Amino acid sequence: MRSLRSAERREGGCALSHFAMTGAVAAVMAVLAVSTPVKADSKDGIFPSADQVGGQVFPSGLKPGDAFPVDIGVYDEDAKKVDFGSVIKGKKTLVTFFISAAPASVAELGKINEIAEKTKGTQVVFLNADTVGVALMGGPGAAIAETGRTLGVIKRESKINTPMFVAPNDALDPKGLSNRLGFRGLPTSYLVSADGKVEKVFVGQHAWQPGDI
Amino acid sequence: MSISRRTLLRGVGAGAAAGMMGGPGLMSSAFGAVGDMSKDAQHSLFSKFKGNVVLLPGKYNGTVSALDLSAPETLAWYNYGLAGIDMPIPHHIAAMPSADPYKTFDFYQTMQPPGAPYINENSPQWRNRGDFKMFKLRYDGSGSQNSIHVVNDISATTGMALGVHVSIGVGVNAQKYVAFADGQKDMVLITTIDDDPKIVKAFRADYDPIARQINVSHVFPDSSTKKFDFQGRKGMKTSHEAMLGEELMPADPTAVFVDAFTWHPTLPLGAILIRRHGCCVIVNTDTWEPLALVSTAKGSPDFFPLVKQSGYTWTFSVPSVLTPLHEAGFITSGQYFLACNNVLQNNIAVFRSEDPDPRKWKKEAFVEGFGNKYLPLHMGNVPDSRWAFFTIWARKPNNGFICKVDPKTWKVVAKWDTGPDPHTCDCTVDGQFITTVYSGNQGGQSGLVVIHADSNEVVARLPSAAGHHDHVVVPESWEGLKSSRSTSV
Repeated sequence: MRSLRSAERREGGCALSHFAMTGAVAAVMAVLAVSTPVKADSKDGIFPSADQVGGQVFPSGLKPGDAFPVDIGVYDEDAKKVDFGSVIKGKKTLVTFFISAAPASVAELGKINEIAEKTKGTQVVFLNADTVGVALMGGPGAAIAETGRTLGVIKRESKINTPMFVAPNDALDPKGLSNRLGFRGLPTSYLVSADGKVEKVFVGQHAWQPGDI
Repeated sequence: MSISRRTLLRGVGAGAAAGMMGGPGLMSSAFGAVGDMSKDAQHSLFSKFKGNVVLLPGKYNGTVSALDLSAPETLAWYNYGLAGIDMPIPHHIAAMPSADPYKTFDFYQTMQPPGAPYINENSPQWRNRGDFKMFKLRYDGSGSQNSIHVVNDISATTGMALGVHVSIGVGVNAQKYVAFADGQKDMVLITTIDDDPKIVKAFRADYDPIARQINVSHVFPDSSTKKFDFQGRKGMKTSHEAMLGEELMPADPTAVFVDAFTWHPTLPLGAILIRRHGCCVIVNTDTWEPLALVSTAKGSPDFFPLVKQSGYTWTFSVPSVLTPLHEAGFITSGQYFLACNNVLQNNIAVFRSEDPDPRKWKKEAFVEGFGNKYLPLHMGNVPDSRWAFFTIWARKPNNGFICKVDPKTWKVVAKWDTGPDPHTCDCTVDGQFITTVYSGNQGGQSGLVVIHADSNEVVARLPSAAGHHDHVVVPESWEGLKSSRSTSV
């Protein structure tokens, strides 16, 4: 058997990842051109095992009755960290995660925005959990500012006035947002009660009715 | 190259010219514009590859080229910009058999928009460029100017544009069908192989994340136009082809990442490969009815059960997915169906697949030992099934490698780090050598490597700046196609 050559020797110090930028809306993407340091998404190209990400590809995730974690990393359009606990504290809230790489996900925002305008007593927040396409920007953390700019474009083009935030995610990190909450498809919405408990979970496109939220 | 070395042989004069020069080698069966390299210092190295024309799609330079491996020289090349594609991304390829590939052969090429992050990283100026396309093309080496030209834009002809794997029917499906697949649209299209192809059957697959079910449906063209309405980006669930590991990432909840259709070499069966859910739909190619959904993960049952059939939709229960897969296909003999599980489990599942009823197939073994950095990806066959070859891909900073598996023991018996970002394997028409390409992560070290299948020696390495994501050696016969882009991808 022939021995493997040293990957490190051949690759040198550059760690440009395959996990890179993507997006669904061309106009949204047009704002994303930046020149930033190159980093890998995670160390050493390691992939997680099943037990590190919920036991399988589609973990059960948060379900009604579970406490919604308020310590998730959330940033505003200006890339400033937001205390998400204070955003939803004491308020019944529909928390919708979306991703611009899935056209259905962006399309759903407008529908939710419409139903939110007709619903009193429940606030709605949108969280962009884009993961793919951020390698050149230095991984999910370093791409927060650009993802924040994406929010601005979506709000402007879709005429959405619902508050939007960035929720960085690394699906290959066992502690990444999608593994922690257990979502694999977006949009996924959690209706969270005023006392912070998940009341309902909506996965995918939904025919929204006022009573839903 | 001097004129004296560059004798062009054409038509019936080729044999005579070869005789006059006293060179047995390259010229005896060549009727096109083929160089005489017999005086080249490297002749003894490459002449052993006589009869092997390698098609090389340049995913990152928008071309396809036909390489005479025995010279070596490019016989002809074509830039898909000539077909009207702005920023063409030639993706996967399959070649029809040809008894004299120096004279002519047909082949199929898919392409996708450059939205795939593999290609363009975050270059937003590429976002609206490129297109999904399937082309039938023809190499013509019959005259003084070799050429490649488009015979049919199959996406325009059928109204369905798919951008990932293409595979040609063999065995009972030989000389009939070609299959195309796409994981952004989760569709498969089967057409006839003639120059004006007809729609035979089309499938769509969708996941219901609430019910945890996969629906596999026949889809039909519009009754008035006789075409589908899925050209260009229509039908896209995601803006790019899923990267390795993206099976775990948030996407359209219905996405399953259909990747390919592979053909059983002897039985009227084919497999629709579903990456994200680690399973394959085994289809009867006489009726196009899904017969079984085989689950490939270690620790999972052999099948996900059929819940119901309603009209042209078959619903399977998928309660748990222990790992995604990438490619899956049949060993040339048809004795085994092999599936490259990856991301959460990195192993190769081995099903015995001789029974005409796929519901009787069983997982018999796993090829293991790849760790958590190296992902089984593509599969390559040899005509006599004495070995199976696999591409084992890795993210940076790791190179990945090619490995040889002994089907008697299902152990890895040799492996080669051919270079960064390795992609598909194929074999020469005599089954003695393995060809494989690596693309250097879109911009670095890249080329074509030839390995002796039995001695394990790397016998040749050719540079290429095209960034090959796939390649194929033109098979010499329909039987030879069984170890090409048909049974495996």
